[in-house]
Amino acid sequence: MKKSLLLWAIFGALMCLLPLFTSTGTLRVFIFANFLAIFAMSWDILSGYTGYISFGHPFLIGIAGYTTAMLTRHTGTPLFLSIPLAVFFTMIGGTLFFFPALRTRGTYFALVTLAFMEVTYHLMQVVEPSLTGGTRGLSGLPLLFTGAIPNYYLSFFVMFVIALGLWALTRSGLGTVLSAIRLDEESVKSAGLNTSKLKLFAFMLSALVAGIGGALYTHYLGSISPRNMFDINFLFTILIAALIGGEQSIVGPILGAYFLTFLLEYLRPYIPGAWRFLLYGVIALLVYYYAPKGLYSIFQAGTNRLGKKIKRNEQYGQTT
Amino acid sequence: MAKLLDVQSLTKKFGGLFAVYDLSFHVDEGESLGLIGPNGSGKTTTFNLIMKELKQDEGEIYFKGKEISKYPTHERVKMGISRTNQIPRPFSEMSVSKNIRVGIMPDELMRIISMNSQSDAERKIGKSVGFKEHALAMYPRELSMGDLRRLELARALATNPKLLLLDEVFAGLTVGEIAELTELLKEKKEEGLTFIIVSHDLRSLATLVDRVVVVSFGRLIAEGSFKEVIADEKVQEAYLGKQHSQI
Amino acid sequence: MSGILIQGFLLSGLYALIAVGFTMIFSVGRVLNLAYGVYIMLGGYVYYVLAQVLSLPKIPSFLGAVLAGVAFGVMTYLFLVRGLKDNPIAVEISTLILAVVMQAVIILIFSPAPRSMWPLIPGVIHLFGVTISKNIFLAMIVSWLVLGSLLVFVQKTQVGRAIRAVSMDTKGAVVSGINPSKINIVTWALSGALGAIAGVFFATYTQLDPAMWVFPLIIAVAVVIVGGIGSIMGSLVAAHIVGFLETITTAVIAAELRGVFTLLLIIVILIIVPKGLMGREEI
Repeated sequence: MKKSLLLWAIFGALMCLLPLFTSTGTLRVFIFANFLAIFAMSWDILSGYTGYISFGHPFLIGIAGYTTAMLTRHTGTPLFLSIPLAVFFTMIGGTLFFFPALRTRGTYFALVTLAFMEVTYHLMQVVEPSLTGGTRGLSGLPLLFTGAIPNYYLSFFVMFVIALGLWALTRSGLGTVLSAIRLDEESVKSAGLNTSKLKLFAFMLSALVAGIGGALYTHYLGSISPRNMFDINFLFTILIAALIGGEQSIVGPILGAYFLTFLLEYLRPYIPGAWRFLLYGVIALLVYYYAPKGLYSIFQAGTNRLGKKIKRNEQYGQTT
Repeated sequence: MAKLLDVQSLTKKFGGLFAVYDLSFHVDEGESLGLIGPNGSGKTTTFNLIMKELKQDEGEIYFKGKEISKYPTHERVKMGISRTNQIPRPFSEMSVSKNIRVGIMPDELMRIISMNSQSDAERKIGKSVGFKEHALAMYPRELSMGDLRRLELARALATNPKLLLLDEVFAGLTVGEIAELTELLKEKKEEGLTFIIVSHDLRSLATLVDRVVVVSFGRLIAEGSFKEVIADEKVQEAYLGKQHSQI
Repeated sequence: MSGILIQGFLLSGLYALIAVGFTMIFSVGRVLNLAYGVYIMLGGYVYYVLAQVLSLPKIPSFLGAVLAGVAFGVMTYLFLVRGLKDNPIAVEISTLILAVVMQAVIILIFSPAPRSMWPLIPGVIHLFGVTISKNIFLAMIVSWLVLGSLLVFVQKTQVGRAIRAVSMDTKGAVVSGINPSKINIVTWALSGALGAIAGVFFATYTQLDPAMWVFPLIIAVAVVIVGGIGSIMGSLVAAHIVGFLETITTAVIAAELRGVFTLLLIIVILIIVPKGLMGREEI
């Protein structure tokens, strides 16, 4: 426990100092990575832990984004109101639409979320374009902060707080019961636990985080459109980030998000659009097949060895 | 003696076949009941129905005097019924200790979150079924069948049951393991636990049970003390005389 | 009115074909094959390449498309799913990843722009005073023929009965001497074939598009949830419910909203009768 807190503190400190060493261009990449980390963590707390794979996170993120976009654009609601409202609607809407499926089986849940995402993608392009902006979406939305550095700190701060919160929750009994649901839900019921209640809680946490991420992301970009919200590619990116990083760990998705974002940045000049997804997909399949615990397991192995070395050196009275 | 469990006219059909038909029996508090019968006679189905893993087509189930048919599985467990599985199904990616922990967890979110490790309670339960200290950190794939059955029992006991449904606890165990488990169950019986045991090992069953109920093709065919039931012609016929040599 | 009835009926036939191909794998292998839509996509694109680009005659092109579906289905099983057989969640995720990868492949080969396909049989016929395209009519006839043969296959032939056995109780089937691995290969091959056949018609009904694998999945989802698992009759009934719902919505309200009502139907069924109208008990 102490070791972990120390690691978090080091991570936090390093990231806070980052702007001193990097250009604004790189900072903007980090901003994107932070948001992707938020989305990937929101996916993990539900799907990684309970095994109820959600293909509908873009739907949840999109509700948040569109709610705050439409409120600020059409009614001039100030950000400190529109953002919490957006998060609230995400949680309500998400629960309303997904709970009937959540109560039943993981496979039904996966299918229903996929269906929702797809239908919403088409729907948002045609319904009330005057409100939603149709295919092009809405732009020129108010920004929370201007400039790379303040946005960087915002994105990092939010990501860090969410990460710590979720991490603490999953290290408690909650993590145990949720992962038990993934392993064998029937047995969890036979242990006297109401799995529907637990799944709902995990879902609401997930929706909360997704909502916060979606609303803030929209006011970082200043625009929103069906293409960048309800797209299969967006879903795919979140999924891959969580999977490559390591499901069921909260830390894994952060690692995965950073890895994927920087891979994307590095490859951008060399590899055109469609090849990228091909590449991600192949990497994801390989990781899934051969290293299902993802980057996180590598990270853990590394810190374990480091920890052992430090302990050994202390025992022999040497300094590292 | 109050009736702890009272099953009345339970019926369950699968496709065209009656797995359980018009089955009625009861268990008194503190009693241990044997539920025996040839393969496929509906014993596991009966347990599934009592636990709400399946829903009955007809019939009522009374627990502590209350009709419980509308309650889902986890509620029945909270009321005090627990079971072990015929084929052990532990949580494969969790240690013995953590497996037991899931059983101990209360069904309240705030308490689940504030609960981190329950090592004392887990250790106590683990030891009470015969696990040594070092075994608590082992994983199901490393355990022998005897230990897996112990784990099933530990998980069932973790929920603090009044009524324990034991499905084939002795299958696949060595003679030594059977003796140990029998001793353990006798201890629990003395502590006041009520149970229903399903087993093909009639010899081991004989020493544990107060009364026996026999089913065949889902129907009750005999009821009484172990001796009475074994001597019953209908029972012998149902087993086709195969079990004679066991006694 | 009769226009709606006939259109609905025609569409439901195609939807039934799409759904049955999907539920087969679910019933038999207990896994979700999210790459199913890819068979439909492949069916469309391969037929396009053979019949329109290479100008081969229609029947060989059609067979070629079916073969592509079968091959892809079997390969998905052998190389992806079989290795993950104890982990249905991993299968869900990896088949989705596979689908997106295939979408990328199609984009690379064909470009992201949608293309229209010529109908298999051009022209229209007049039925009960309604004008319908011959293509859709053919689609319905072929769908019913295929479904009919499938029903016969599953009930009368040994392999077919083995498939039903595995779908009801895998362990029992193994004990009876059935090799589940072989059965799975047959099932995935069939699923691929059904998907490809549906794909050829689906592509002519809508258009070729690298993202076209998603919509049929949604149809299949709706039919599975509404009809329940384990019953071909349930799938047929549900396919008609969904098909008519969409046709009516398109005609009476607006084409873009048809997905919404399908989704609402899904939610309502999940709330009221979660195991579907004719589904077997959840195992």
